[in-house]
Amino acid sequence: MREDAFGWLRRIRRTLPAVVYGVLLTWIVCACAVTAVHAQQPDPAGIATGDKTNAVDAGGNAFVVTEPTDKADPDFAAKKKAFDEYQAQAAKEPLAIKLADSVGHVRIATNFGWTLNTGYLVLFMQAGFALLTCGLVRKKNAAHLMMLNFAAYVFAFLAYWVCGYAFQFGAVAVNAAPAGLGGTPTLNHFLLGSGQWGFLGGRGFFLTGPAYDAGSNVLTLFEVVFMETAGYIIVGSICERINFWGFLLCEIFVGAFLYPIFGCWVWGGGWMSQLGATMNLGHGYVDFAGSSVVHAVGGFCAMALAVVLGPRLGKYGPDGKPRAFPAHNIVFVVTGTFILLFGWMGFNPGSTLAATDLRIGVVAINTNLAAVAGAATSIVLWYFMFGKPDISMGCNGMLAGLVAITAPCAFVGPNAAVLIGIIAGGIVCFGVLFNERVLKVDDPCGAVSVHGYCGWFGAVAVGIFADGTYGSGWNGVGPATYLGKAGQGVTGLIHGDTSQFLLQLGGATLCAVYAFTFTFVVFKLVNAIVPLRVSPEAELEGLDVPEFGMLAYPESGDEVSAAV
Amino acid sequence: MKLIKAIVRPNKVDDVRDALAKLNIEGMTVSEVRGHGHQKGHTTIYRGKEYNVSLLPKMEIETVVSDHEADDVVRAIMGAARTGEIGDGRVFVMPVADSFKIRTGESEPA
Repeated sequence: MREDAFGWLRRIRRTLPAVVYGVLLTWIVCACAVTAVHAQQPDPAGIATGDKTNAVDAGGNAFVVTEPTDKADPDFAAKKKAFDEYQAQAAKEPLAIKLADSVGHVRIATNFGWTLNTGYLVLFMQAGFALLTCGLVRKKNAAHLMMLNFAAYVFAFLAYWVCGYAFQFGAVAVNAAPAGLGGTPTLNHFLLGSGQWGFLGGRGFFLTGPAYDAGSNVLTLFEVVFMETAGYIIVGSICERINFWGFLLCEIFVGAFLYPIFGCWVWGGGWMSQLGATMNLGHGYVDFAGSSVVHAVGGFCAMALAVVLGPRLGKYGPDGKPRAFPAHNIVFVVTGTFILLFGWMGFNPGSTLAATDLRIGVVAINTNLAAVAGAATSIVLWYFMFGKPDISMGCNGMLAGLVAITAPCAFVGPNAAVLIGIIAGGIVCFGVLFNERVLKVDDPCGAVSVHGYCGWFGAVAVGIFADGTYGSGWNGVGPATYLGKAGQGVTGLIHGDTSQFLLQLGGATLCAVYAFTFTFVVFKLVNAIVPLRVSPEAELEGLDVPEFGMLAYPESGDEVSAAV
Repeated sequence: MKLIKAIVRPNKVDDVRDALAKLNIEGMTVSEVRGHGHQKGHTTIYRGKEYNVSLLPKMEIETVVSDHEADDVVRAIMGAARTGEIGDGRVFVMPVADSFKIRTGESEPA
């Protein structure tokens, strides 16, 4: 097919938004490079990470006693005595001190192994989601779905490398240092904000300098695969009609800006996590493994993009009633769901960032309980509503339970986990019907309901069901006592903490509004300059050949007769 | 020669092939097709949306036989493929002008 003389001009016009992004990013990076001052030394070889200061017992008591500095502290005298005793013992037993250095090192090494390996499990979820979404769409778009999932990993990762990680975790050492990984002390500067009101991190652009560090890289690996999860969630709602280059812009947007900004506010030591200290609101905004940070951000971004794109051709009949576009491969859908469940064993327990945090078993069990409760609910509910259980809704129900338990998994007991799963199973069933029939937002894989609605619910569920048995001192709040009890952890409404509930409600809603609005504004603008949707002819034919020149399942015929 | 085109239920293909083998008819072409006559489809449901499936899967068996065998072949196919329910299918008989074997180049007698 011969191009006309202006193909090159059209391609330049189409790449214009990407060029604008590139210029913006380069400016940010240069600005940061100029202001970078390295007070702490990064440790890329890992030979200076992990010593006696990291040696801690089961109860979290440090081996090393630090000298108390606050003379106004009522416990000053007791602390000074403890410090003097430690110094005396250390002088008498120098070998024990050296052994403590090894113990601390081994603890850090254990947690490095844990965090990396659970991160690899989360990476494997990419394959699960690719299979799930591919199976849910029509055969003519199977290659397109696979390519979207593949390219999502590739390009969002690069965006996160350039500035996403730096924005999200560039200041993590200020308020949220990951102690189990050695504290990443070089990531200590906010680009926007400071102290307990941080809005954007500013260390580690291109993963160099302060981020070229053993502990930081472990954190990067773990956190990038979480960002990728938000990145592929959007595939489920924009597929079957988005063009590839528009899609790449979406992924770069998620990896460089949308995800890291909110992620900084909650996990990077930013302002939302510090609201317990600054405004006496519970333990600050709490989201253990990302119901809001990952799933609601992805789900509401997906919703905004689905609105901008509009529904698939033929989805709504002239009477406005939705038409069925049946899944082309239920085998992929179920296999993909199992792979996601397996990967979630990394997603939730891994979020301790430490194997030495022995809550990991409780987290793993709660995760599974919510998963099966969600699946059971959607299977049974759909049977009562429509006369037969729907396999794809059963899978969506399991994923809904998993998404909803992701924030509260470390803070609740087993019965609460089951209840959370049941509620999520109900939300996803009604959410899918609501989006399709009332809002008329076309969401081929149910991403908005599974990740958006259930993600919001999961974050709120922390504020309802958290039972206080874990999380003492979370976000620096109440390390000795909380709500009058020693060792009381993150607590929800049912167990007596109203402020936590209100903060979770507000924070989760802020997340939804932030993700939807930011995405909608940016992509409504992009769509006005360069349309994100393929031509109607390409959409009716199926995107496999028009976008990528190949079929997912080549028919035997002229396409392959030469090869046979 | 006659081209006999039989559209039968997918689970009847083996019975039809056995019946043809008994008449020493070995050559045939079989394809997967979709269609219907008077057989109504059924309504099914996907994620809460009802839709009609009216193009039903069938199998088409084509075989070219000499004129004197045609009646026996038609009767054999119909006997093997019949269940008595709506949707059993149909047999068509068409005249064939010529037939050539590709390997040897010889033409079959009409």
